[in-house]
Amino acid sequence: MSKNFFEIRNGYFVASEKNKVNNVNLAIEKQGDVVSLLGPSGVGKTTILRTIAGLQKINSGEIFLKNKIISSENFHLEPEKRNIALSFQDNSLFPNYKVIDNINFGKKRSKGNRFEIKANDIIKLLHIEPILEKYPHQISAGEAQRVSLARSIMSNPDLLLLDEPFSNIDQNLKDEIQYSVKNLLKKMSLTTILVTHDSFEAFSLADKCGIILNQELKQFDVPYSVHHEPNSIEVAKFLNRGVFVDVEVIETDCAVHSLKHSVLGEIRGKLVNNFPAGSKVKLLLQPEDLIHDDQSKLKLEVIDKKFRGTNFIYTLKTSSDEKIPVFVHSHHIHQHEKSEKFGIKTPIFIDHLVCF
Amino acid sequence: MPRYNIWFFSSLVIALIVALPIITVFFSFFSETSNYFNVLKNTFLFEYINNSLIILISVLIITFFVGVASAYFVSFYDFPFSNFFSWALILAFAIPGYIFAFSIIAFFENYGTAYTILTNLFGEHNYNPLIPKFDSLIGSIIAISFSLFPYVFVLTRSSFLYQSNNYIEVGQNLGLSEKETFYKIILPSARPAIIAGLALVAMECLSDFGTVSFFSVNTLTTGIYNSWLSFDDLNTANQISFILLLFILLLFSFEIYSRREARYHQPSRGFKPINKIKLTGKKSLIPFMFCFLIFFVSFVFPVSQMIFWTFKFPKYFQDIDILKINLNTLYLVGLASLCLVATSLLINYGSRISKSKILNYLTNFSISGYAIPGVILAVAFITFFSNLSDLITNFFNVGSTKHLFIGSISGLILAYFVRFFSLSFNGIKSSYEKINNSIDESAYLLGYSKVRTFSKIHVPYLKNNIILIIVLISLEIIKELPITMILRPFNFETFATQAYVYASQDLLEAAALPSLFLIGWATILILFSSKYILSPKN
Repeated sequence: MSKNFFEIRNGYFVASEKNKVNNVNLAIEKQGDVVSLLGPSGVGKTTILRTIAGLQKINSGEIFLKNKIISSENFHLEPEKRNIALSFQDNSLFPNYKVIDNINFGKKRSKGNRFEIKANDIIKLLHIEPILEKYPHQISAGEAQRVSLARSIMSNPDLLLLDEPFSNIDQNLKDEIQYSVKNLLKKMSLTTILVTHDSFEAFSLADKCGIILNQELKQFDVPYSVHHEPNSIEVAKFLNRGVFVDVEVIETDCAVHSLKHSVLGEIRGKLVNNFPAGSKVKLLLQPEDLIHDDQSKLKLEVIDKKFRGTNFIYTLKTSSDEKIPVFVHSHHIHQHEKSEKFGIKTPIFIDHLVCF
Repeated sequence: MPRYNIWFFSSLVIALIVALPIITVFFSFFSETSNYFNVLKNTFLFEYINNSLIILISVLIITFFVGVASAYFVSFYDFPFSNFFSWALILAFAIPGYIFAFSIIAFFENYGTAYTILTNLFGEHNYNPLIPKFDSLIGSIIAISFSLFPYVFVLTRSSFLYQSNNYIEVGQNLGLSEKETFYKIILPSARPAIIAGLALVAMECLSDFGTVSFFSVNTLTTGIYNSWLSFDDLNTANQISFILLLFILLLFSFEIYSRREARYHQPSRGFKPINKIKLTGKKSLIPFMFCFLIFFVSFVFPVSQMIFWTFKFPKYFQDIDILKINLNTLYLVGLASLCLVATSLLINYGSRISKSKILNYLTNFSISGYAIPGVILAVAFITFFSNLSDLITNFFNVGSTKHLFIGSISGLILAYFVRFFSLSFNGIKSSYEKINNSIDESAYLLGYSKVRTFSKIHVPYLKNNIILIIVLISLEIIKELPITMILRPFNFETFATQAYVYASQDLLEAAALPSLFLIGWATILILFSSKYILSPKN
């Protein structure tokens, strides 16, 4: 049995030869927590969701929900008996029923449950009112996704599974809907597992975030730690747009640790993982880590410049041929062109020194 | 490993039932040949094959020309009544070849309808030598061609219509003239559809029994029928069936192949309907006259002939128990539709939820029944059930059990089942495939059991499709002749058998009333399903 609200123990999930995830250990301690699973497309995230929902059998390991086992090698509770809702990535609305009837399909289960949900509130929250009387083939993919989400929430399940729930929703509506959905889930105390390949979505919605890479759950932690303290090069590479540069550990005894790079010089901050002085390690340099300073003596050559609206990303080349990205706010008046010199503020200070 | 569950066994049983005629014919071919077959081999067999091939090739040429030309006119040109012709030309489906044959004879025979018209117009005279007479072979070719050309028309029209205007515009942009655009772009891309249509025509043509038998042309189908009826030689009948089946199977695979090719020409995104060229004045006369002529000959002519005779000889209103025939037809249609639709639903559902490959192969095999000509099916059925009855009699020492399936409604329904299972199965399958698998899964996750998902989600979704399939099955059964003729209970008549029986007794005027009813019902059913028949996917 499990003390946690939901738990996967040593889960082995297989959809095909390439698409499998091994040795998954994941626990949701209390009801109402939202967990996101983040990983590149085709890594097996959906397979995990389908297995939790009971649409697929687990190859080995165990899944517990509310202190009861729901899946193991020898036991499989049918999906209709699990009270787990899954909102699919593709359109899974019942084609011969109107949007409103589709949403009401969810009601069947919610009767007598702990939380009285009003369909109207959800409909309003997800901006579904104008399409209530339409049939699924008459609405857009983004609208269908919102209806599917509403239907799943209406069923007031013990566990809500969302498979890329916002992938087809227009960008201008996405932020608002994400915000509303997060509030609603919390208000309803609805335990949720969300699958996405968008790290912003995963970080902003979830209490905890799991990173799935190379057929394994690599890290499972609060979003802040996952972002700032990745536990492997793979996770860091997957999450960041940064680069790894070779540095030597100089000082680790004081509160502020110190590293040395052959071109950038001294880099100060706090080491996330401990290394003895003298170690040769790789340091993660993210675009926001270096600060532009025209007065600085440390100058690097600009080899690329991209305009990203609110900022520019400059790619700089060191004399040892390392390429380093740097963010600069786009209001900044000192714009630099390719092959010009670009000053970096020294000494460099980075809060989290992520080294491997 | 296949899962040996209820779905597997029910699919296996259906596959076996459908396979019965083929297996029977196959084994008969290798059994001892009778004297009659040896005589036949040296005398008429060559004539059978020869006539069948002459009719086949001629019908293919005529249906190609008539079907493609009429489809071309209604798809690319806007002329008076062009929209009317685009659906009215499929009404020819309502006239079976044998009824067209009755009309030809009734019109052109000595002192026939043509004679009456000429007399009324120009006064008394011996017009008989002036009226052309068609010999049996030509008569058969014309009758079969005009009853089958809609296959080519429908498929070619869909292909033309749903060819995106983009291609045509690109062609023109690259400097092709109108004529060049047709020969270099339009026709080649419609080729798979035309071939598929012609393959269907060929299969139906080789299967035709009513027309050739009415005209007394010796073909493979009449050969099979005569060996059974006149010489009581089932073995020979099956041996001729084997030869015919070889031809049919060749065409069957050809048809499947061309359909697969035709799939690449389905409309996709960015599809722009064709801008029809508006024709006025003299220019519009050619397409109008052509389509009108085809519509007149294929539909108006036989219908008017039957109406004319029905009212010219009103005594048959009393002689023929038309109400009973209506009820008989309804009974057959109802029972067959029920069996076919229920089984197709179950098997489709089974293969959907069990996702077994073996099950798929079995069901794919089961749909081959529609390729087997009615005559072969009926004779093979009689052979099989006679042998089975003899076996049971010898083994259990009980009386004959032949009557259970030969000359009985149950046998008739079973034979219809084999013949029309593909129609019903594929019809439901095409609609079922549109229901995404995640829809079923969503229902399970919302707490619906498999049975409730089926009744609450699947059945309401498939409802319109099921009605359509019942309409199409009804249409086929109403027109069906050889199976009903051979396997029906004594004195049990449908419109088709009643008309054919009278006509073969030279009582063509008596055949008019049941023929007219047959055409009437068929027309209603075609109008009901015309939207489906004319859709690009069929």
